[in-house]
Parts: sequence; C-alpha cells; structure tokens
Amino acid sequence: MKELLLMCLIAGRRAAIPAVQVQSVIEIEAVTPIPGAADFIVGLTALRSQALTVIDCRVSLGFRPSDRVIGSRAAVIEHEGHQYALVVDEAFDVTEALAEPVELPGGFGEGWGRATRGMVETETGPVLLIDAVQLLHGPCPASEAA
Amino acid sequence: MANELVTILGHRLPSAIKGALKQMDDLLADFVAETREMLEAIGGELVAWEAEPSDSARLDSIFRFVHTVKGNCGFFDFPRLEKLSHAAEDALAECRAGRREPDRALVSAVLAIIDRIGEMTDAIEAGQGFAQGDDDELIAALAVGAADVAMEPAPNTTGLIETANSDDGQPEKPGKAALQRTIRLPVSLLDEVMKGVSDMVLARNDLARRLREAGEQPAIDGPFERLSAILADVRTAITRMRMQRLEYLFGSLPRLVRDLSAELGKQVMVDFEGGDVELDREMIEMVRDPLTHIIRNAIDHGIEAPADRLKSGKREIGLLRFSARQSGNRISLVITDDGRGVPGDRLAAKAAAAGIVSEAEAARMSERQKLLLMFEPGLSTAEAVSQVSGRGVGMDVVRANIEKVGGTIDVTSKAGEGTSFHLQLPLTLSIIAALTVEVEGQLYAIPRSYVEEVAFANVQDIEFARAGERQLITFRGRRVPCVALADVFGIADPRRIAWGSKTLVVMRLASDEVFALGVDRVHDHEDVVVKPIAPAIMDTRLYAGTTLLDDGRPILLLDIPSIAAQRGLSSEMRKRVVSAESENAEGGAGTRVPVMLFFGLDGRKRALRLETIRRIETIRREAIDIEGDRAQAVVGTEIFSLAGHDCGPLPEGRCRLLRLSDGDSQIAYIVREVVDASAITHDMVAADDPTLEGTTLIEGELVPVLDVHTLFVGRSAPLRRDAAPICRLPTDSEWARTILEPLVKAAGYAVTAAPDIEADVAIVMDEGEHLPSGPARATIWLSANPEVGGDAIYRYDREALLGALKQATLRGSRPGRAA
Repeated sequence: MKELLLMCLIAGRRAAIPAVQVQSVIEIEAVTPIPGAADFIVGLTALRSQALTVIDCRVSLGFRPSDRVIGSRAAVIEHEGHQYALVVDEAFDVTEALAEPVELPGGFGEGWGRATRGMVETETGPVLLIDAVQLLHGPCPASEAA
Repeated sequence: MANELVTILGHRLPSAIKGALKQMDDLLADFVAETREMLEAIGGELVAWEAEPSDSARLDSIFRFVHTVKGNCGFFDFPRLEKLSHAAEDALAECRAGRREPDRALVSAVLAIIDRIGEMTDAIEAGQGFAQGDDDELIAALAVGAADVAMEPAPNTTGLIETANSDDGQPEKPGKAALQRTIRLPVSLLDEVMKGVSDMVLARNDLARRLREAGEQPAIDGPFERLSAILADVRTAITRMRMQRLEYLFGSLPRLVRDLSAELGKQVMVDFEGGDVELDREMIEMVRDPLTHIIRNAIDHGIEAPADRLKSGKREIGLLRFSARQSGNRISLVITDDGRGVPGDRLAAKAAAAGIVSEAEAARMSERQKLLLMFEPGLSTAEAVSQVSGRGVGMDVVRANIEKVGGTIDVTSKAGEGTSFHLQLPLTLSIIAALTVEVEGQLYAIPRSYVEEVAFANVQDIEFARAGERQLITFRGRRVPCVALADVFGIADPRRIAWGSKTLVVMRLASDEVFALGVDRVHDHEDVVVKPIAPAIMDTRLYAGTTLLDDGRPILLLDIPSIAAQRGLSSEMRKRVVSAESENAEGGAGTRVPVMLFFGLDGRKRALRLETIRRIETIRREAIDIEGDRAQAVVGTEIFSLAGHDCGPLPEGRCRLLRLSDGDSQIAYIVREVVDASAITHDMVAADDPTLEGTTLIEGELVPVLDVHTLFVGRSAPLRRDAAPICRLPTDSEWARTILEPLVKAAGYAVTAAPDIEADVAIVMDEGEHLPSGPARATIWLSANPEVGGDAIYRYDREALLGALKQATLRGSRPGRAA
C-alpha cells in the first residue's frame, strides 16, 4: 500500500503531509489571538466544541508570516491530546505517493531541512514530504539564529 | 454503630443528627469501597512479595496499604481492624528501616492479617458484626521467630458479635444494608460522552439560529424545544457524573480533627474556605488520604498543647485552615496551621543521621531545601512514635499520592508561626465559574474564585497613586498594587494606560495577597468548561486553559497565580492582608475597625466586629430548636447557643448564621441576610441599649453595632462539646446506660467507655458491684439503697448526684488533660 498524501502549498512550495496525520481540512473562519504567545502560534479557532491551536506553517519553517490567515485552509492534526490547525497557502487533493521519500544531496534549502522527511514522487511531480509534528514546535533555535 | 447512635439521640435532635448519620454512612461506604479497591490493587503485589520477600518496592506498597487502613480505622473506631493493621505496619516498618529481614514467616503472617482485614471489611459493609475471633494469634505470628502460620479463614459469624446492638440478643439481619447499584466506568469514556454532548449543544445552537432565520414553524419549534430541554438535562447529568463539591471532602474533616485533638489533648479550630469548588470525583478520592496525613501531622507535631500556646503568646486554640481555589485546570489547596512550625535544622540533622543526605550536604542546604526533606522516605520529626501520626511515614506517602495524580506539594514554614502545605492538583475536566473581561477587543475568562470585587475607576471613589514604576490604587482603605492586563499581555505601554477609564478587578490569591487587574470592560459571569491548552501556549505562563463561549468562539482562561508571580504581586510566604491594612491606617482618619454588615431577622441593618466572626453557615430551619429561653442551632454535628432569633420570625427553609467566637466558646447569630464586610471609620456614638456597643456611620448609613460581650453572656461555655468533662459509667449495668447516662449527659458531661482515656469522674454503683473500667480523677458512689450513708448517694437523689458531678468538675480543674 502506497502512502496517501495531502497535497498542499506551503510558503509557495508544493508540499505534502501524510494523510494519516491529518484529521480534516478546514477553512479558518475566525481566530482568537493569544497575546504573549510565540509568533508561529496565530491563535485559537473552534472546530465544533474543540479549540484548535492555529499554527502558521510559514513561521514554523522560518519564513515570513502568512498575509492573511482568515479564509486560509488548514490541516487539522492531533498530537499528544491537543488539536492543531496548520495553516497552509493552499490545500489540494489527497494523492498516492509513487515511491519512498528520498533525501537530496545538498538538502532542500533554508528552513525546510528539519520539518522535511525527504522528497517524494507523485503523479503531479516531486513534492516535499512534511513531518507535521515538527511544525508544532515552531522554528528551531538554529534557524532563528540564522 | 450507626444504629446505636440513633437510639441514643434520635428522639432529641431528629433531622440534624440523622443528616450527620447519613453522612457517616456515606463515609463508611467510601471506606469499604476504598479498602476493597486497595485490596484488589494489592493482590498482585502480595503474590510478588511472597515470591521475593526482600523486594523493597513491594514492601513499600503493602506498607502503604496497612498504613492507610490503620489511618481510616482511627477515624471510624474499628478497634480490631486498627490493632491488626497497626501491628502489621509496625512489623513492616522494622523491615523498611532495615532492622529486620523479611522472611517467609513474616510474609505469611502479614498475608493472614490482610486476609482478615478483607473479611472484616465485608462484614462492615453488610452491616454485620464480626465474629469475636482471636486476632492475637495473627499478631503474635508477626513477632520475630514466630512459627509460620497457615492462612486459615477466620471463624465465621457464629460467635459473639462485636457491635453494641448484640446486647439485646437479637440476631443481626444479614445484608440489611441494601447497596446502591453501581458500575465502574473508565473516565475516558465519560470524557468522550461529555465531548459528544458539547458538540451536540453547539449543533443545537446552530440549528436554533437557522430556525430563527426561517421564521416561525410550529410543527418544528415544539419538538425542537423539547430536544433542547432534554439536551440541557443530559448535559447537567453528565457533568455531575464527574464532579463533586470539595465540601464533601471537607465535611469529614472536623470530626477527624476533633477526635485527634481530643486524643492529643490539644484544642484545634477548623476553618474552611472554598468548599463550593468542584473537583473531579476521582481527584477527591485521591486527595482524601494525603489530606488526612497532613492533618494528623499538623495536630500531632504542629499545633502545641494549650499551655505551651499560652506561654508563647498565642491563643489557646490552634487554628487549622483549609482554603481551596480553582484556576483553570488546577486546584490549589492550602492547609495552614498556626503551630510551632517545622524546624528545618532538625530535619536536616535527622536526614543526615538516617543517611539520606551527607552531613556536608545538610550543612549547605537552604532553609527551604531542609524543609523539603520532610518528603523523603523514612524521615520523621516525631520525637516519639504515637498512635496518631505513626512514625513520620506520612509525608513520603503523601507526596507519592499527590504526584501520582499529576499534582505537586510544597511546604512553607516559619518557626513559632506555623506551617502551610500548598497542594496543586490538576483537573482533567472541570467546570468553573468565570468572569469574562474584555481587553483591546478580545475576551478573556478569569476564574471567579479569585475575584473579590469589581470596581469602576470612573464611578467609585478610587484613588490612584504611583510608587516608582508601580501603579497602586487605594481601595476600601488599603493600598493595592495594580496592573493593566494589556500591559501583562505586552500589547500596551504601561505608562500610557488611561486608568480613569479602566474597570478594576480586585483579586485575592490563595495566599491572601490582593491585587487589581485593569481591564477595558467586564462582561458576564459564566460557568465554563475548561479544556487544557497546547504546551506551546502553556509556555506563556499567562493562561490556564481555554473554553468556548456560547456562540462557539474559543477564549482563554487566565492563569492568575502565575501572572501574579511573574509580576511580583505574590510572595512565597503568605502575608496577611491584615498587616497591610494596619500599615495603611496611618494616613486615614483614625483606626478602621473591620465589621460585617447584615440584616437581622427584623430587616434592620446591623454590624458585628469582623474579628469575632468565625464562619458564615447556612442551615435548615429544622436544625434550630427554640423552647422558652433556650435557643439552639445544630451546625454539622455541633450544637450552638443561638442569638438574634428574638427580633423577628425565623425564615422558612434555609437560615443564615454567623458563627461567633470569643476565643473559648462559640455561639451562632441568626441573620436574614449577610451584606458585606466593611469597616467603621467614624466615631462610635454610645447607645442607651446594653445589647449595642454603639451606633456609627458606615458608608453614610447609621448602623447599630452589636455588643459581642452581651451576646456571649449566658450563652457561652456549657455547650462546648469538645471541652466537656468526661464521665465514666459502669458498662455492665442496664440502669447506668438507660437512666444514668442521659442524666450525666444533661449535666454537661461526655460519657466514655474507652479504657485508655482518663476520665474526670467515674461513677461506681452498688458498693462496687458495678465498676467502670479505666482511670478517673474522682469517683462518685451510688447506691440502690435509699437509706445509704457515708459518701455514697442514693441513686434517685437527683440533687445530690448533680451536686456531686459539679463538685467533681470544679475540683479537678483538669490540670492533666493536655497530657
């Protein structure tokens, strides 16, 4: 069985999140800001009776924040009993991976290294395979320093 | 046991006492359930221990079991059970201390005792007495070098029965206590159901909105209303499944404190705050034990004997204070005594002697580190091993239990002033009362338990002042540090805050420190379901949880203690506000006397000095008994003289009482309504009324201030139950029990049968034919012969008997009772 992937656009690059990690894809309608929280945390949003912590993937990867979170798509994932909404530029369909992820010599460029499990071939071409859990901790100190 | 009480007291104080008994039954059921649960849990450990007697982890958990059983027994008065568990605990303690090697014989003996404990628990649950078996054999088997005993089942219930009811020769009806049918469920299942119901409520709200938009549709609106009502009921029921008021736990403590202090010759008063905090049922059970241990320690080691207290300038009666607060997903419970404090140096010395730390380490330790040593296994500050607090095992068990549920325990202590234990407990799911406030267009929730008052800067008379960079307000005569929430969040410049337009929420922390939070607006009081927040949000140390508003919007619940700590608004040692008050008084117009304002039964506003008020109680109308000049009220299990009832009709249903104390005795003052705490700032004008201290202006109104002295005249002393002299009666005489005992009790005596308590007076009947067993300081001789001479009294000579009883109390003004 090939791995199923949620195809999306993160920081202007084509990326994929393993579908097993994703509970659903939502559109962010409203966000409650959290004063004092780190930059990559946009705030809270509600999904039915659950409060989701909204994470801006761009900031988590070390890029500039998204221009507009309201109206964006987000992938809902659960980690250690807490639920998160990962804001992406765009979310597309679920497709099948055609091969195992591979590393590229020289890496994928600034910011991507830590959260990426490699490159994966799909029907629509190569994409970066994202480890969603890595995005929950925000940018790593090294990339901040850089 | 319960039945016996009913026959003695049932006809005199029906409802109140029966209520207490009901509670006792509940506690008993808890005891049985807990013991059985522990027995089940320990089953595996027992087998493992049998295979490997030197396994110290197993030894520890078995030790904890018997220790807990022993503790509970002391509370319920099961002497046999207590003796057994105490014996097993002693033997195991020897092993833990390394003075004894556990061998097969010991394992067998302990197992036999645990089996017997199980059998007795079954008997207690069925409401049956337990057969008079020979426990001595089991206990003797614990001794070093005893022969290996076979684990025989206890003889079944054909022998003599241990309960008091058996005297009348009637056999106990087996299994008469019909047990409520219960099932056990995993908490996660309840959580899931709760979540489902919450989702359902939101779906309903959504549907309601759409229905409103669609206009009136009678065919749909009716059933929809019904659905809503059912949903509301289900939601309430599910919520209740998990929650219990802390009161339920607090309810059992006064009795425990009373018994312990009587046993140890101390006088201790209990004060509760926050009994209405709701806590997960599971969590309540988890803290019951640790709390009991802390209380035992506080009374045994913390609070001094009355004579010592007087010597060091304290009030004779020690104070044990429990205060609970809820904040997001945490409960903080502070237990404070005003005893001698914990000597850190002695702890360090003991720890060094016990090899827990080296001498050098001990010498380097800070006072705080020394105090924390008390949680190390195998350390005790007790000079002597007593039955009450054992050998100091308590605290390591306490910490283990608290940490097992994800809580923390901390201790602060000051020599000569007392000790505080700070328990922080997590809430997996909780409903809390919250105040929603607005800052910069966003809503936040503040746990209402911290909110003392809401004040409006532009309306009320609030004076702002600055001290350095600190903003202060003068509020109700005291200076309170103040911080704007927008500043806490870092979204506003602290120097540019328009204080005049802010609403101030005055907060009081569990440590009694007060500060004010400035917000833009206060919205509403709401009961909210608090959910935990992601660790990354937790890192801000500003928020304790999140909750959804009715419209489904999430808002954040503020972590008040943490915000206060970050802002330096709370210190580690508790500082009473009272001291701040006295410092601030200098600037004011004369001294302020804090008072409590209330409406009397006649509807008139009055004031009482706050320092005389111990507690505010609510009781049912039936718990008040008035007959001629005698007026009494039952609060819990105590009887108080009642005042204030003669100025108007008693309210129907619930009655509010102020419990007043003059330091030695307490009385209850009934009021229609408690208004608020306030202060006398104006001069008092003498009134031509002996019941008044005078009249004065309070907040612009003329208010009579009651004279507490007059209230206590004629109402104090004789009804104090825990100070009652003790009388010992012959136990083998029907007449003594049915005729004499009520008379002696009416004379203000407590009657005892316990052989190890020194009574103030003993009554001997019929030339020594019926002898009370046990020591007494004075003896009265009664005779059935009316012509009796000498020192003896004819047993129906009431006057002479009462006279003799009074004489005996006066003579032995009880120098040795504190021993």
